[in-house]
Amino acid sequence: MLRELEDGLVVRNAMTGSTHLLEPLAAEVLGLLLSAEEGMTAAELAARIGDEAELQGWTTSMEELLLEFKRLGLAGPVD
Amino acid sequence: MIVGDLTDEALARLLSGPGLRLRTGPLVTRISSPLADIARGIALLYRDHEVQPAEGFADFHVRIDRPAGLRRWLKPQVQFQFDGWPPFYPLPGDQGFPILEWGLNWCVSTSCHQYLIVHAAVVERGGRALILPAPPGSGKSTLCAGLIHRGWRLLSDELTLLDPSSGQAVPLPRPVSLKNASIEVIHRFAPEAVLSPTVHDTLKGSVAHLKPPVESVNRALEPARPRWIVMPRYQAGVEPRLSRLPKGRAFMQLVDSAFNYHLHGAQGFELIARTIDACDCHEFVYGDLEQAATLFAGLAAEA
Amino acid sequence: MTPLVAALRDPRALASWTPSQWEMLVRQARSADLISRLAALLEDCGLLQEIPAAPRAHLLAARVGRHAHEEAVRREVAQLRKALAPTGVEIILLKGAAYLFAGLPAARGRLFSDVDILVPRAALSEVEAALMLGGWATTHHDPYDQRYYREWMHELPPLRHVTRQTVLDVHHAIVPPTARLKPDSAKLLAAARPLPGHPGLKMLSPADMVLHSAAHLFLNEELSHGLRDLVDLDSLLRHFGADEAFWPALHARALGMHLESPLRYALRYTHRILETPVPMHLLAAPASPVMDALYLRALQPDHPSAADAFTPLARWLLYMRAHWMRMPPGRLAYHLAVKALRKREEAAPAGR
Repeated sequence: MLRELEDGLVVRNAMTGSTHLLEPLAAEVLGLLLSAEEGMTAAELAARIGDEAELQGWTTSMEELLLEFKRLGLAGPVD
Repeated sequence: MIVGDLTDEALARLLSGPGLRLRTGPLVTRISSPLADIARGIALLYRDHEVQPAEGFADFHVRIDRPAGLRRWLKPQVQFQFDGWPPFYPLPGDQGFPILEWGLNWCVSTSCHQYLIVHAAVVERGGRALILPAPPGSGKSTLCAGLIHRGWRLLSDELTLLDPSSGQAVPLPRPVSLKNASIEVIHRFAPEAVLSPTVHDTLKGSVAHLKPPVESVNRALEPARPRWIVMPRYQAGVEPRLSRLPKGRAFMQLVDSAFNYHLHGAQGFELIARTIDACDCHEFVYGDLEQAATLFAGLAAEA
Repeated sequence: MTPLVAALRDPRALASWTPSQWEMLVRQARSADLISRLAALLEDCGLLQEIPAAPRAHLLAARVGRHAHEEAVRREVAQLRKALAPTGVEIILLKGAAYLFAGLPAARGRLFSDVDILVPRAALSEVEAALMLGGWATTHHDPYDQRYYREWMHELPPLRHVTRQTVLDVHHAIVPPTARLKPDSAKLLAAARPLPGHPGLKMLSPADMVLHSAAHLFLNEELSHGLRDLVDLDSLLRHFGADEAFWPALHARALGMHLESPLRYALRYTHRILETPVPMHLLAAPASPVMDALYLRALQPDHPSAADAFTPLARWLLYMRAHWMRMPPGRLAYHLAVKALRKREEAAPAGR
């Protein structure tokens, strides 16, 4: 369950029962993952969202964000 | 019939015998206690509350008494019992009325799951409700006590009950609990207010209870639609300042403040979403109660 | 007959109960942990709306938690499957979790705090190791308690998950190996049925499910939830008993598992208290007036309104009996002594 609000996205994860507020960037990433047909790598996500020139930096942040998603049960690695 | 219609003897007889069936908003509690300060506290602070006849339905059965044992004589204590079972440890003997109030809060927060129960004060003006969620020590009870003496109706000072089907706040007008310095502040702010004697050295410091204004009690069956969510914070010496609280943060604040959010699942999420949609959300800092009241009066006038 | 038992026997009559009757019913149901069940029964009859508003509020409140509880249990079992998948061990769900996953009527309004599973004794260490990797940690760190559970009882000490704080009970038998009666766990495992729609999960066979419930109730030391456990039994017997072939199979299985005594009590008291339809010939066993006097009191709701002067003694005697049935006399005395000592320590002021 989602609700888009001015300062981010409120998400209720039915799998864990927990509710989270995602900042706009995180919300966008989650949106991409939800609408993608298959998994995406950190680099692919960074490319879709980030600044071309700072791709490396964005990819690292993206990896951290994905780790946080995994911890919260919002997204996970596909084999 | 209201508590005020009973003589002191009749009240004491009910409390030490079949029990006093007291109505508070949607709930009826059968209270029994042989202790004089319970009778005194109820006579003073629940004077305008309805007494229900014995044939009606009581939601809870509670008892405040001295626990059995040797301590009875050495150093008296009081204990709260819920239908024969004590959920808390006993407290010093002079804390009978506070333990009744905390016990009644416990009954609601552990049983009334037909509502989303938010740890917040809620008051009403012009048919619209102002919800004040705040952690302890933020001055929410003082602010609530002040507002109900400046044109606002009390729904609750601690437990905001939100009805999932209507989205409205359901009143539960009961004595407002005040701590430490707030007691004196309210004495001065509202000299007409009825306060219990102060009880010292409780877990929360010095505690007194404020009788809800008679209108709040008489209108206890009138719910109100939430219109404002304001997180108050007291800070000595500052000018009152209302600043917009982004709705995502307000949403999470309600999630964190709701005792039984996890029980309501998806329905709870929906209810909070609807409430946030319908409300203006703010943070509020204030140093003076009169200034705060004026600001909130202005808020009510604008809407 | 107490109001709660009357209500359980005939929920349809509840629409005409007075507010006073409802008041006593709610108090008893709450203390017997059956208010959620009562709400479910009324909902199933379509009668919830007929109940007066004030008591109905309590039933609606009970209903709110039910869906959340169900979701939580399903999540928990999903996590359990993930954690134990590498071991290849088959997980047999027991009690409440089994009723839920099997879609049995016994699951309706049935709340429970722990998930119980049965695994082969030989696989116990492997299972425990896998669970620890999955985030479950042991409770009861006291060495005495650890021994009590591992050596003398039929389960690991309860495991609590570090983040979810949920409790898991891992059993390898349904009565302790030190008990005088020894049902064969291998037979239980062999007869276990797959849970449709849930690969890797199993449940006990219908007869074993009933026998487990009976053993749990009539060999258990704590009867504070006796009525609730009796309600489970009644529901299982009505559901499975609709098939005539169930009864002879149940009786034969009880003999084969040395559980005739708990079954006899189960049939007798569900029939007496909840009017469970039981074939007459299975009720023919001679009644013991003493056991009747004890159980008919102890199975009432644990509420002052449902007790008489003899109820505390009845409960105590049955407590002693249950322990006697689970461990040899020497160990029993030691166990009770330790338990008594522990209680005194706990009762000492906690230093506020």
